[in-house]
Amino acid sequence: MAWNRVAVVGAGLIPFGELFDQGYEQMAAGAFRAAVGSVDHGFDPALVDAAFVATQRGTLWGQEGIGGNTVPTAIGLAGVACTRIENACPSGSDAFRVGCMAVASGVHDVVLVIGVEKMRDKSSEEGLLARAAGGHPVYTRGESAPVLFAPFATRHMHEFGTTREMLAAVAVKNHHNGTLDPYAHFRNEVTVDDVLAAPPVCHPLGLLDCCPQTDGAAAVLLVSADRAQDFTDRPVYVAGFGTATDHPYLHEKADFVGLPATTLAAGRAYEMAGVGPAELDMAEVHDCFTITEILDVEDLGFCDKGKGGVLALEGETAIDGRLPVNPSGGLLAKGHPIGATGVAQLTECWWQLREQAEDRQVALRHGFALQHNVGGRGSGVAVVNVLTTNR
Amino acid sequence: MRTVPAANIAAVGVAAPTLRLAAADVAAAWGRAGGRGQCAVCAHDEDTLTLAWEAADTAVAAAGLTTDAVDGLWWGTSRPPFAEGPSHAHLAAALGLPAGVSGALTAGSAHAGMEALLGAWDAVAAGTASAALVVVSDAVLPGTGTSMEVAAGAAAGAVVLTTADGPATLTARSTHSRPVLDRYRGDGEDETRDSYDARLFREQVFLPALAEVGAKLPGADGQRWSLPDPDGRLGRAAARVLGTAAPASAAARAELGDTGAAAALVGGAAALAEPGPLTLVGMGGGRTTGVVVEVSAPVPGADAVGARLERGRAAPYAEVLRARRRLVPAGEQVEMAVPPGSAMFVRGGPEVLGLLGGRCVACGTLNVPPSIHPTCVACGADKFDLVPLARRGRVHTFVVNHAMPAPFEAPLPLAVLDLDDGGRVMLQVVGTGAELAVGTPVELVLRRYAVERGVPVYGWKARAVDGEGTG
Repeated sequence: MAWNRVAVVGAGLIPFGELFDQGYEQMAAGAFRAAVGSVDHGFDPALVDAAFVATQRGTLWGQEGIGGNTVPTAIGLAGVACTRIENACPSGSDAFRVGCMAVASGVHDVVLVIGVEKMRDKSSEEGLLARAAGGHPVYTRGESAPVLFAPFATRHMHEFGTTREMLAAVAVKNHHNGTLDPYAHFRNEVTVDDVLAAPPVCHPLGLLDCCPQTDGAAAVLLVSADRAQDFTDRPVYVAGFGTATDHPYLHEKADFVGLPATTLAAGRAYEMAGVGPAELDMAEVHDCFTITEILDVEDLGFCDKGKGGVLALEGETAIDGRLPVNPSGGLLAKGHPIGATGVAQLTECWWQLREQAEDRQVALRHGFALQHNVGGRGSGVAVVNVLTTNR
Repeated sequence: MRTVPAANIAAVGVAAPTLRLAAADVAAAWGRAGGRGQCAVCAHDEDTLTLAWEAADTAVAAAGLTTDAVDGLWWGTSRPPFAEGPSHAHLAAALGLPAGVSGALTAGSAHAGMEALLGAWDAVAAGTASAALVVVSDAVLPGTGTSMEVAAGAAAGAVVLTTADGPATLTARSTHSRPVLDRYRGDGEDETRDSYDARLFREQVFLPALAEVGAKLPGADGQRWSLPDPDGRLGRAAARVLGTAAPASAAARAELGDTGAAAALVGGAAALAEPGPLTLVGMGGGRTTGVVVEVSAPVPGADAVGARLERGRAAPYAEVLRARRRLVPAGEQVEMAVPPGSAMFVRGGPEVLGLLGGRCVACGTLNVPPSIHPTCVACGADKFDLVPLARRGRVHTFVVNHAMPAPFEAPLPLAVLDLDDGGRVMLQVVGTGAELAVGTPVELVLRRYAVERGVPVYGWKARAVDGEGTG
């Protein structure tokens, strides 16, 4: 494929959580500083010649209608080319994909991809757990974010015998991983019993099946692979990426046991990267709810359809398992500040591939890591990015 | 006395709301002893429109008609869902009646039910309607803590009138008018006033009016009659005067309370199953009208009346207060992104109320809702036939939502449904969802989804067929 290879030379984030003392601008500045500070040979911010900002829910902090132009001023780059990417839950990973294309095309040399999301200036009652998820004014009334995923849990259980305990195993694993991640929103262990006894949010999902409402920001720095050595001796390269869409309304789904956008996006990313699931050393996937991770590992080809429920239960996706999934704690424990989520997952992949993940470091065998988001109405959009240590 | 050309009843249907309020619960809440009987109350998503739809839909089905054969709709209710607005058009659209349907909405008092019946009768007799649907519904909203609170009920009834021979015939009518202030609600007022003196009105107004009307009704034998009973004593008092047994409407009165504009038809509907004369009497706004129905054979639908009126469940007083929006949570309510008066509702209103799908001419796939599908989701073609979706199906998958702000009430079940015609929809489900499973058979019912910026917004919900009565 005729594209210039892209390298990730810096990545960083701010600790996720309920950041009542930080506004959108402070979070953006913190993430940018972290990314700049991570560049091994130093990085002059003035080198950035284009920025792509991922912010999905401007409505939660009164900034709907604001384009990307809030961020350059906040991070000291007023005047830089800047575009906001809004593509539902994959906003951050899509901003990364677009940033890669900007570098790969040769139009831009040094690109900042930054995801920023302010979720907790509003109460839980006004957040995505409770609020309508948008769409048709009558047909979608009463649909909050969990309603977009819980029907898949009901049907997955019906068709494959998936159990609430299997769902709980995902929450237990990811919360455990979160205790090892200093950037995670939640840093406490939970048990299967805790998950099963949690208050119902959207049957069959309970509170601990759901990701929290989290503030956060993350940033990565992209350059053309030819320039990577100027910044670091340990660059991570972009092996491939893919994105896809699916019908936006739940009743249009062919079935309720998989998310076709994920399968399509992954197929495109695998083809571009020239690898498959067998070459992955770890994956950061979209676990907004426990059932989502189960769907993801099937749709991404980590196991056969219907078998996703047992992966976490049997430890296959633990940090020391066959294919570690969400060593960062995932959205369930680390948090899901929507625009920042994908960029933070990529930062985790970057750390893992550079063996900088400390207590949660996975074993590197092939040098490939996969990052995935899926979301929007009816999980109608997915993005998959594949990073590698191999030039 | 002038004779009126007859009109025939082809079928009857009734509907009762979901909740039953025990008078004893209300008495206890107010620190009073005793309390006898019960009344029917609309759930938070029911009102005079949803009840009217259910009764009318039942009657049309019992008549063996398709809705496009109905060419007139007369709806009588003291509480149109829009005090000024598209009430009649909403009911017609929800029933799937032709856009050219004639008829009228009668309102203004509890006498509105009889006015609807007389209007339809006149139209059929005059030949301006060949199949007239008469719907009467009411859902009295009493003042909290008033004696009326445990007397005011809700229900709907419907009959199909035709010129063709039918099992029952409207043969005589009589109206008496007198300017007295009985049940009353002022412009802009929400609650119906409990203003009149029960004994005064029973003895000086209602009984004399019944006597006046009855005296001018040839064929009324005084044996089977139905009437509204605002205070629960009028029926017995009238029976004493007539020297007959309790009215035919006593059973409905005991189950539902006083159903106002719906009372005459709802109270007499079950009696349409037995041959003989039946007198329907409606009252309100100082007017009293009696109509004699000669039943020659069981009217289709009449045998199901008793069971349908008993469909409901006991509800605690607090739930009734919430349903009547007397007990409301503080704080803001979540409103739709799209106001009910906006262009999206002009484009999409008919398909939402009629639950329409676009059937792809090329591949037959049903696209729902049609307005947002200019291209078939299955094959990409762009020619569609607009069709009403099947009203029955099975649960494909479901959830029960527990975390939502006002105006929603948890638990709120939602289900993806495989409809009998192959269509797929995702709709809210009435009830708690406890009875739901993959494969549960459901029927679709019209319900009020919300009151948005003061405007009621209607749509369809699923109801488990096996869960009847648990609403």
